[in-house]
Amino acid sequence: MELLKLLIIDAWFAWIPAVGFAMVFNVPKKMLIYCAVGGAFAHSLRHLLMHFGIPIEWATLAASSSMGFVGLYWSRKHLIPRPVFTVASIIPMIPGSYAFTTIIGIVELNSGGYSLELMQVIVENGLRTLFILGALSFGLALPSILIYRGRPIV
Amino acid sequence: MELSREQQTELTRIAVKAGQILHQHGAESRLVEQTTQRLGTALGAQSIELSVSSDSIVITSLFNGNCITTTRRCYDRGINMQMVCDVQRICVMAEKQLMDAAQVKDRLQRLKPMKYNRWLVVLMIGFSCASFSHFFGGDMPVYITTFFASAGAMILRQELAHRHHNPFVNFALAAFVATSISSLGVIYDFGEEPQIAMAACVLLLVPGFPLINAVSDMLKGHISTGIARWVFATLLSISVAIGIVASMTLTGVVGWIS
Repeated sequence: MELLKLLIIDAWFAWIPAVGFAMVFNVPKKMLIYCAVGGAFAHSLRHLLMHFGIPIEWATLAASSSMGFVGLYWSRKHLIPRPVFTVASIIPMIPGSYAFTTIIGIVELNSGGYSLELMQVIVENGLRTLFILGALSFGLALPSILIYRGRPIV
Repeated sequence: MELSREQQTELTRIAVKAGQILHQHGAESRLVEQTTQRLGTALGAQSIELSVSSDSIVITSLFNGNCITTTRRCYDRGINMQMVCDVQRICVMAEKQLMDAAQVKDRLQRLKPMKYNRWLVVLMIGFSCASFSHFFGGDMPVYITTFFASAGAMILRQELAHRHHNPFVNFALAAFVATSISSLGVIYDFGEEPQIAMAACVLLLVPGFPLINAVSDMLKGHISTGIARWVFATLLSISVAIGIVASMTLTGVVGWIS
């Protein structure tokens, strides 16, 4: 029950960035609702998996690949290219804050000189950014890599 | 179906126009390639060969041994998924023979990018970054600080983009403004952990779409376009980081890496 409440709060706060960024990408009005549902679904799925102790990279991969398959269904149904829903839906999971920490760390490394603690921050955050980003894109591309293999989806 | 030389030229121009629109509005290379090829063959070409690079496309149409090649430069017009949807729809209709070449050309020329009301976007982006601050464990005052910081940055970003400023300058300035506004929260001790607002308010400047496009281009075999997009996204992130560091140095408030 407690977990369900957490998930609902998570889903509520995840649909807002999905729709916000979908509007920056000028997703058609009728499709915004799908971005909202997708964003809430993917982020709360990742939250659930991480709650059971799965590392963030694998949880992200699972969430984004299920989003990829959901997007496949929607895109066949509405004859609309998949990135329209899927990219906006996974925007809440993009590791932006890790990425900026990495680069700010590099800037600090230049101005403040080398230190082991700083280097640790840079390497850990940088690697996490790369792996999460790879998991996100790979998960989204999974349907076209595994099932369609070069044929057009719509 | 028999094509005259003029008809083949016309077909090539229509196909390249579709590809150019897709490329300019942020479609991934695979989609640009597939849609252009499908549109070309639907209009009667035997085959369409296409080379997509990061800022231009080259297309050759083939019919009975006749080749027609044309190149288009693709300037970045900003991500617009509505244009991508419309071009895709036109392509599907041409494939089902619901439209002939003249109609396709007419429809492509009449496409106009739809833009959301800018103040609505500012409001939604404000709430988006505020939601990120909630994910980072911020409380209500932090939520409010983040909202105003990112909304201010978004207004500046739209204003500079409207005046066609360089995207790197634009992102650095927006990051500077967002960090400066949110550092007020730290100075006046607004909320439990006001540093969270400084981390959350710049997330509207994460180049998420180019990064995802970069990796999926590379996965699907367009390595060079993927690398170009990756470098572009990395440079954007670096300019954001420069903006953040400049603001932290000026105000003396450290929100990152303490």
